[in-house]
Amino acid sequence: MPLRIVVLTKPVPDPAAAAERLGADGRLDRAASPAVINGNDEYTLEASLKLVEAHGGEVTLLSMAPPSGLETMRKGLAMGAHRGVLVTDPALAGSDQGSTIQVLAAALRGLEYDLVLAGFDTSDGVGGVVGAAIASLLKLPYLSSAAKIEPDPDAGTVRVRRISPTGFDLLEAPMPALIVGTQLLGEPRYPSLKGIMAARSKEVVTKSLADLELDAKVVGGAASRSKVTGTTKPPARGATTVVRGTPEEGAKAIADLLASRRLI
Amino acid sequence: MNAIFEDVPYYPLVFVVFWGAVVVFGLAMARHLRVFAATRAAGPSPFEDVRARFAGLIQYAFVQTKMFKDPRAAILHLGIFWGFILLTIGTANVVTGGLVQQVLSAPFGGVLWAAILAMQNVVAVTVIAFILWAFERRLISRPARLTYNLDALLILGMIGTLVAAEFFAQAFEIARYGAQPGAFITSAIAQPLGGIGGLSRAGLETGFAILWWLHMLIVAAFLVYLPGSKHLHIATSFFNIYFRKLKPRGELPAMDLEAEDATFGLRTLADLGWNDLLDGFTCTECGRCQQACPAWNTGKPLNPKQFIMGIRDMSVEAEHGLPLIPNSPSAASFGLTDVINQAAMLSPIVDNAIPYDAVWDCVTCGACVEACPVLIEHVDKIVGLRRNLVLEDSRFPTELNGAFRNMEGVGNPWGQPPTTRTDWTKGLAFEIPLVADVAARGELGSLDVLYWVGCAAAFDERNRKVARAFATCLDAAGINFAILGQEESCTGDPARRMGNDYVFQMLASGNIETLNRYRMGERTIVTACPHCFNSIGNEYGQLGGNFRVIHHAAFLRELLANGRLRVVDADAGANGAGGTGRSVTLHDSCYLTRYNGIVDQPREVLGSIAGLELREMDNRGKNTFCCGAGGGRMWMEETRGTRINEARTSQALATGASTVATECPFCMTMLKDGLEAAQSGTGGTVKAIDIAELLAESLAPTQPGSRALPVLQ
Repeated sequence: MPLRIVVLTKPVPDPAAAAERLGADGRLDRAASPAVINGNDEYTLEASLKLVEAHGGEVTLLSMAPPSGLETMRKGLAMGAHRGVLVTDPALAGSDQGSTIQVLAAALRGLEYDLVLAGFDTSDGVGGVVGAAIASLLKLPYLSSAAKIEPDPDAGTVRVRRISPTGFDLLEAPMPALIVGTQLLGEPRYPSLKGIMAARSKEVVTKSLADLELDAKVVGGAASRSKVTGTTKPPARGATTVVRGTPEEGAKAIADLLASRRLI
Repeated sequence: MNAIFEDVPYYPLVFVVFWGAVVVFGLAMARHLRVFAATRAAGPSPFEDVRARFAGLIQYAFVQTKMFKDPRAAILHLGIFWGFILLTIGTANVVTGGLVQQVLSAPFGGVLWAAILAMQNVVAVTVIAFILWAFERRLISRPARLTYNLDALLILGMIGTLVAAEFFAQAFEIARYGAQPGAFITSAIAQPLGGIGGLSRAGLETGFAILWWLHMLIVAAFLVYLPGSKHLHIATSFFNIYFRKLKPRGELPAMDLEAEDATFGLRTLADLGWNDLLDGFTCTECGRCQQACPAWNTGKPLNPKQFIMGIRDMSVEAEHGLPLIPNSPSAASFGLTDVINQAAMLSPIVDNAIPYDAVWDCVTCGACVEACPVLIEHVDKIVGLRRNLVLEDSRFPTELNGAFRNMEGVGNPWGQPPTTRTDWTKGLAFEIPLVADVAARGELGSLDVLYWVGCAAAFDERNRKVARAFATCLDAAGINFAILGQEESCTGDPARRMGNDYVFQMLASGNIETLNRYRMGERTIVTACPHCFNSIGNEYGQLGGNFRVIHHAAFLRELLANGRLRVVDADAGANGAGGTGRSVTLHDSCYLTRYNGIVDQPREVLGSIAGLELREMDNRGKNTFCCGAGGGRMWMEETRGTRINEARTSQALATGASTVATECPFCMTMLKDGLEAAQSGTGGTVKAIDIAELLAESLAPTQPGSRALPVLQ
């Protein structure tokens, strides 16, 4: 039985460019920085590609993003995903996590899948709730913090190794299920040139709010319940204290320092 | 039949034996060519650059200039080569029924032919002596670079026996049948042979017959044996030299990334060009490449010689089963078919001719190419293999993942935010304008040069100081210059050398567009990075970007030569920096010396600094030893063997110099690390310093047009 996997991918400002900036309205200035696929989403995408390589099947990318998200999605298609669904609508600008969850859940209702994979969190918003919330909205089994994913398509079940403070928990659930991955799933691959060329002709379906039968009064920027009220830069890091000397002297100096800050 | 060979019993058999061997030789060579014809890539055209190609033939094949890097081997080889050619006059005479002798005896009453016989006598003795010398090398002194096998000994034995047999046959012939004018050495030997106490008439006749036919049979056997021997270079090297790469050595082959159904890079034998297979059949296993290779010298699996031998072995494998005579009905009865062995043709080169790890060990320093006397091209093939691994299989050392993503994402392999690209200029005593601002003011025309900073100088802490020193020199010389700032991105050199031509072309196209927007084709670009220099100067043309670019070593030399820069006098000593009696060794950058022939300019810059003593390393100029960072190795872990930068560092320290001068940001990083590692705990104070820094701290305080005293660090 081939696997049908949907991977949630979000275009985020490239963290390496360090040009992330909020506009006057408190929203992300997407023109300020090149977009890339959210780093954690690449790990789940890599895991899903390995799964369909082993079991057969198809990987579908699902994003909610401005139209420029199409370009970012091509990078995931170049890695080997088979097709994409991009939910884009001017009314979605400024959506908070609540809206995002509603929209992605609605899009998933229109897709057939055995597994939905979400990254641990995103590097721009760092909310980390979208996966869990979609699972509860769609009443899907929720398997979080996955270090390893082992589906059994014939039995219709999936096993997940969930990292825990003491090691691993072994979870099993019937499919379809939603899994939130970790970086332990393995380094994402670098797309080959053939992959990049093939991605140009892969199908990406664009859907608007109307296509999903959602109302702009209920979801999107206008309906967002959380707002950015202000931003401050993190304080600059203080000067580094370098301790030199023998290990004994070093240990004493560090202990004194910690004691002086009442940390020990 | 003429009378010349009437003394040789069964002489007419020569025509069967020799010309028969020639036919076998021709058929065996044609069989090689059938595999050549089955390759895909286009080889060089014989009709382009004909003058340069013939000039190379004289330089490399007949004078053998490349051999003189090892003078003893050069003399040995040149002696045997020219001896063999001169003795071939005799062989040509034999196999043409004396035609050569008839023609050459005609002028000057036979003096010419006598002179040839005399010369052949001398040459024969020389060749025999040199063959004994060559045996000594292979059996007793045994240099490490050679490959030791029966093939080489057999060839030496054949040549030696052939020449000796011909030589002594002549002595017997003279003793029995009478004098041959000119043959003075063999005549001297003939004296005791035929004199009192010598051999009988019958004995002389038998001896002559045996020796003469031995010589002839070896000639024939040589021809039959040669096509399957490494010694085939005596036939192929002329062609390999004629068809050598004439483009700049630093220009990797262009690549069409939009080609439909193409194989990207080199995967199989079929993806090579016929000239690559010719490389294989030209390799004589002399091992000069291996001896020069920094990877091999530090215990890594890469051996350029074995790579080329591996290509030849694969090529021979591909003709396995092909009959000597094409389409012959009798071959079919032996189970031979007329089809090239497709399995061999389509088996991957990686892990066949070269181990996977070795493909990544290459620093693309070009030492192998420089060393090869018959102009075999190793580096382009290794990068071709990388291209295939990267572009088709995404198979490369995992560390490169980050470098590729960083170059693609933020335009520099360090992954630094582009917004910090001009941070190195902060705190300078003068302003460095951005080209965009100069253009906005409409003053592009007044710009002397564009300073292409490069990522290393923009982001690496140590190399930022080099950029500051170089900018200080430019300012002191009153040069009107500007930088691109955030509009500059990596030239793509590391990506290209790591096989990622997709990222190279992306970055290069972007840079070309930027440079053309500011009409930089009409100006001069100066850079302190040999890799940027090579890419922009030698490779951007492939993508339509034609720029005049000059490396800072050459530019600083020019500024010193035309008096725009002046250094303090040794005696003046007021500034104090110039005349401290600093001893310096210069580490040459591969991409400057071997790739672009820039050897003297940095030395002239150093020579201008008062009181500076230059202590050269053995491996210098075009024989420089790589720092270990080329070919994208800067971004790879060095897990196999010992570290190349440490090997180079010990060469530098061996000179006893107090400073290692560099001219490349990657060399700077590698040697700085190497010196720190070598001197940790020893109290050593040898430092790596760029030539621009050495110059900047020696500049005379009053410079025309300078706005500030030169500052360093």
